[in-house]
Amino acid sequence: MNNTNSSVTDIESDNAPKGLNEDIVRFISKKKNEPEWMLEYRLKAFAYWKTLEEPTWAHVSYKKPDFQDIIYYSAPKPKKELKSLDEVDPELLKTFEKLGISLEEQKRLSGVESRIAVDAVIDSVSVKTTFKETLSEKGIIFCSFSEAVQEHPDLIKKYMGTVVPYTDNFYAALNAAVFSDGSFCYIPKGVRCPMELSTYFRINASGTGQFERTLLIADEGAYVSYLEGCTAPMRDENQLHAAVVEIVTHKNAEVKYSTVQNWYPGDKNGKGGIFNFVTKRGICLEDNSKISWTQVETGSAVTWKYPSVILKGDNSIGEFYSVAVTNNYQQADTGTKMMHLGKNTRSTIISKGISAGFSNNSYRGLVRIAKGASNARNFSQCDSLLMGDKCGAHTFPYIEIKDKTAIVEHEATTSKIGEDQIFYCKQRGIDTEKAIGLIVNGYCKEVLNQLPMEFAVEAQKLLAVSLEGSVG
Amino acid sequence: METITKVSIKDKIISEFELSKNSLFGDSTIRKNALDSFAKLGIPGRKSEEYKYVNMELALKGDFAFSSPNPFAAQQTRLSEGQVETASILKTAIVVVIENGVFSANNSRLGVLPKGLIIQNISDATNLDSFKAHYSNYADVASDAFIALNTALASGGVFIHVAKSAVIELPIHIIHINTCSVPTIVNARNLVVVEENAQTTIVESFVVSSNSTKVFNNALSEIVVAANANVKHYKIQDEGDVGNLVNTTQVYQKKQSVFSTNNLTLSGSLVRNNLTIVLDDEFIESHLNGLYLTKGTQVVDNHTLVDHRKPNCNSNELYKGIIDEKSAATFNGKIYVRKDAQKTNAFQSNKNILLSDDGTINTKPQLEIYADDVKCSHGTSTGKLDEDQVFYLRARGLSEASAKKLLMHAFASEVVNTVELEELKSYLEAEISNRFE
Repeated sequence: MNNTNSSVTDIESDNAPKGLNEDIVRFISKKKNEPEWMLEYRLKAFAYWKTLEEPTWAHVSYKKPDFQDIIYYSAPKPKKELKSLDEVDPELLKTFEKLGISLEEQKRLSGVESRIAVDAVIDSVSVKTTFKETLSEKGIIFCSFSEAVQEHPDLIKKYMGTVVPYTDNFYAALNAAVFSDGSFCYIPKGVRCPMELSTYFRINASGTGQFERTLLIADEGAYVSYLEGCTAPMRDENQLHAAVVEIVTHKNAEVKYSTVQNWYPGDKNGKGGIFNFVTKRGICLEDNSKISWTQVETGSAVTWKYPSVILKGDNSIGEFYSVAVTNNYQQADTGTKMMHLGKNTRSTIISKGISAGFSNNSYRGLVRIAKGASNARNFSQCDSLLMGDKCGAHTFPYIEIKDKTAIVEHEATTSKIGEDQIFYCKQRGIDTEKAIGLIVNGYCKEVLNQLPMEFAVEAQKLLAVSLEGSVG
Repeated sequence: METITKVSIKDKIISEFELSKNSLFGDSTIRKNALDSFAKLGIPGRKSEEYKYVNMELALKGDFAFSSPNPFAAQQTRLSEGQVETASILKTAIVVVIENGVFSANNSRLGVLPKGLIIQNISDATNLDSFKAHYSNYADVASDAFIALNTALASGGVFIHVAKSAVIELPIHIIHINTCSVPTIVNARNLVVVEENAQTTIVESFVVSSNSTKVFNNALSEIVVAANANVKHYKIQDEGDVGNLVNTTQVYQKKQSVFSTNNLTLSGSLVRNNLTIVLDDEFIESHLNGLYLTKGTQVVDNHTLVDHRKPNCNSNELYKGIIDEKSAATFNGKIYVRKDAQKTNAFQSNKNILLSDDGTINTKPQLEIYADDVKCSHGTSTGKLDEDQVFYLRARGLSEASAKKLLMHAFASEVVNTVELEELKSYLEAEISNRFE
């Protein structure tokens, strides 16, 4: 994947000038033809953002981005309605193809049982949404965020900012002020989404920050599995990415959200790479609902990401499965928050960290059992694997319990790959590199098993590529 | 309109330093440096990551006097023979009494000290080479406001030196007793130096006299364990409702030494333990055990840091707590493995039982690891008493109360059993039984 990343797609961008002020916020809003209430929301968020300072508590160190040196809006032009893939800019298709996730392939897949609908986002604007028709038959809304603002303002008004308010943190406020686009998904009552929904994010134009916003709503008894994949071409400058994802599940609903993140991690000397500061949170609003996060994080120079679940409804379930790989000079501070508010709520956290090279990899998680959240149950397991003696692996779990009926367990281990394991493989004719791939895949199996099939294959390859050259 | 200007506790401390600096023992540059550091750090608030779960500002609210090295100060004269007797848990021990942060020669029972052992008032020890070589070398004033406060304003304490190859059979019992007539900030400071191949057992207990008012006890002990030495250390914290205790223990270990500590918190309105162990050579062993039984509105916050600096060392940590009523307990344990510390084995475990609806448990076990050939793990669990176990015992004729009592005893015994002093062990067992009556 290293080589495929090293190209830039030539699509002319319609950029906003560099820098951030109220005019830029207005510019973005106007560009997107937004109604007045949306602009007001952005301005409120911007005013609040100005009062905040960048958080420094994460176990990462990097040069703070200059927020006045970022282009906050860049859209591929011109945009016309496309009926088939042939009409899509061939440059774009080529880029997708290089990544091995071409729309062509997705289209072909549509003829087979396993179907994936792709909402491709290139530099913040949804270029193409496929399978829309099939979905709309079921009453499922799956479109770009800006389209939803125009066409489903009531839903946006009702849900946007309810899980991640703009007051949540520095980057969430920034995102609320300048978000360019993203995806919106609504699954109506009792509908089981017939295919995996998928968004591929890419950061493309140089020096643009990407601020997408995703909102997923599963109404009573609905089910959806949502895939998010990210990859960025090679760039020298550090690029900022501050996304917000919100998930709401109603009674008996279930959302499964899977991410494979493979943004440019910077070169071997730690130059360049993406800053990935993401706020992801779901709320199990009503009884018996379930939210499950699965993530495979192999990219980005700096990652700061804590997909969380608020377990508000009784008997609701939250899950977090994560593999985070850091190599060279990458830094990751990632984990989850499980807030138990309802009765009989359950949560599971499985986190596997792998650090190699000069990288630092931290798990930071919070499990909070509120008073009155009776019979809450949590199990957390955080394992770290170290490769080489120049990297670091860290665990920072926070556990706060205010109810006596809670049962909470946390386990963490740190170790390296056993020499005897490698020896065993080598004895059977498997070279060291492959042996490590094998062992790492086994180590991550619990998490990879949670991914949909297509993703699991890609994720396995990614793991191997990310750790290339980290041994011997 | 009348304006009331309130002097913040930080400013009070700084002006107290100006007033008393000439009467305090030791090197004035160390003290000045510590004060500067304190002025910079300030009293940690709720936003401070290290003091997130404990409200220090609240504990330091109101008017405070300061412990003073002057033996004629009024608060120095309130200790009776009987009180020392009650506080002496061990029948056969060398007893050191520190009253309101000052070494009390009259009340201490040193007897004839065995060969190789020096015990004296820390303010009389400042000219000794072993004092100069170690004092304030380990507790870093820049790292913590309370270390800085103690180093700046330490009123007294005890200096213990165990000479090379000396084996001290009798346990040394340091009783920190507070008898303050007005709310006081007490800064007691101890230095324990155990030389090569030496062995000793040290018990520190923290109590208050029945007539004491509110006290904020900021006690600090530095313990140096030289090569091949073996030190067993126990702390019993029992200051009742008036006691607010910040207890820093800073341990520095050299090659092949063994250090074990048991931290037993029985009472106290607020107890904050800062235990740091630095393993600065190879083949060192460290054992950290802790037990905290909380009730009422007590707040207990245990902070431990095990700093593995060199290869081939082992550390083992076990902290257990039983939380009742409206009390809150925190465990924050950190294992730090530096880049060179290959072949480190470091284990940490924290287990809690929450008995009441209003209690709180916060645990934050942390691993920070920069070496790859290590085996490190931590585990923590929190729950109620297992109902199946209670049922099992009740099915065998035990009442619900005694079944629960038995289970809590069993839970605590894992820590109590690591206490090697029989007298101390039975004292603790009795205390635990009383607690669960």
